[in-house]
Amino acid sequence: MTETGIALAHAERGRGLAARRLATHLFTLLFLAAWQIASLVAPSYLLPGPVPTAQRLWVFLTSARDLGHLGASLYHVALAIAISFAIGSLFAIIPYYLPVLRLAIERRIGPFLNSFSAIGWTLLAIMWFGVTPLTVIFAISAVLVPFALVNMSAGLANLDRETMEMAGSFTRHRWRMFALVIVPSLYPFIFATLRIMFGVSWKVTLTAELFGGNSGLGYMINLARQEFDTTTIFAAIILIIAFVHCMDRYVLDPLQANVSRHYAS
Amino acid sequence: MPAERTTSSSVLAERVIAESVILLALLGWWALARQLPEFILPGPGSVFRRLVDMLITPEFLWHLFTSAWRVLVSITAAVLIGGGLAFLAHGVPWLETVVEDRIKPVLNSFPSIGWAILAAIWFNPGDFSVIFVEVAILIPFCLINISEGLRNIDRELMEMGRSFTRHRVRILWRITLPLLVPYALSAIRIAYGIAWKIALVAELLGAPSGVGYVMLRAQTAADSTTFLATCFAIVLVFAVGERLMIVPLERRFARR
Repeated sequence: MTETGIALAHAERGRGLAARRLATHLFTLLFLAAWQIASLVAPSYLLPGPVPTAQRLWVFLTSARDLGHLGASLYHVALAIAISFAIGSLFAIIPYYLPVLRLAIERRIGPFLNSFSAIGWTLLAIMWFGVTPLTVIFAISAVLVPFALVNMSAGLANLDRETMEMAGSFTRHRWRMFALVIVPSLYPFIFATLRIMFGVSWKVTLTAELFGGNSGLGYMINLARQEFDTTTIFAAIILIIAFVHCMDRYVLDPLQANVSRHYAS
Repeated sequence: MPAERTTSSSVLAERVIAESVILLALLGWWALARQLPEFILPGPGSVFRRLVDMLITPEFLWHLFTSAWRVLVSITAAVLIGGGLAFLAHGVPWLETVVEDRIKPVLNSFPSIGWAILAAIWFNPGDFSVIFVEVAILIPFCLINISEGLRNIDRELMEMGRSFTRHRVRILWRITLPLLVPYALSAIRIAYGIAWKIALVAELLGAPSGVGYVMLRAQTAADSTTFLATCFAIVLVFAVGERLMIVPLERRFARR
């Protein structure tokens, strides 16, 4: 069903492709022009123009200190994703093997974690750990765990019964079944989970870094905010948008398409 | 589901374990809090007492109400704007790539704190600033869900609709919108969760009211008891709101 949808979309896209591309680029140009005009009217601490922002972006990309902050943010995100994925998956797998715990995890722990606010975790972590990378990583992980839990539980609930029965008729070895059948059939869900977590993590990371970090882009934005250096804020935001979008479009998208093609039932 | 619940005794065991997990967590918290000073981790008893105290003070209730009101307005606005953008992309062919390749990715990857800081620079602190940030954070979620819904609309049904009437508004009202309801509902559900969890950041920077402000004030004063009580109040309001709004909405529209 999805296949036909994609095919139809492609066929449709063939017709007005050039016109649409023109419209898209025109929109970008119009937007830049509007930004330029607005920046001429407004003072620069309210709205820096596109040219100074581009210059600042270039300085950003050539400065080791600024790139270090980007690296720190990346490190926080990667570590937090790894930790929360491990914890969330563990929570999802426990009720699969120990059904008595299902209610405890899916109705008690899950909803609680899911409704605890990100700001709460961040400020709590600051009180507990001070202004350190640990605070940032803890806060992001705490926010991401429910996402991993919900998605991986959905994956486990969608396991094909027949495949499991077949695997059960081949081996009684639980570990082998887990490694050779369950994990591979979860691949599409694992990727979907990681992708959602990647998207959400960037929404939270900067907040955590701004309030509780001593490194990273959020920290940098905070410094810039105190100095009314709006140009740096704009440059950092644009850099994040570009980075997240490119990762999503050119790395995660093809990877996920590849995985679902191999493992989709 | 692999786990089958057959006997009533296993249901009971599940129940008992679920409640005892909560009890154990509270016990662990209490034991841990005894070792630690009050400003790092207050005990569950004092946090609970503070929570009750706060829930009967009009000032805190007013903050809570302010936040809830902002969340509701923001979700409504975000669904309308996100849905509008999705319809624009769907109905005006040459705008499709503009929305899909420009507006959607930018809004989707825009960091939430970026909006909060920009709003703090651009606007005076207050309701408008907070609602602006929350709407900006929520729009991409609504846009993605509703445009997914528009993409999945059954062509045959639309054709059938067109064979009955040429009236576009009528087709929209009788066919397109009802088919979009499940997607709009999931957009509202996601937006509701994100609004309480992430969009509260707007109140840290841009408002002298709301629970975000209360949290920041408690944190700056190192008043962990109030802080934790506020966190639990948010969990409570979140759950109550879900019961009173989201679940009835879903029951009303999703099942037919």
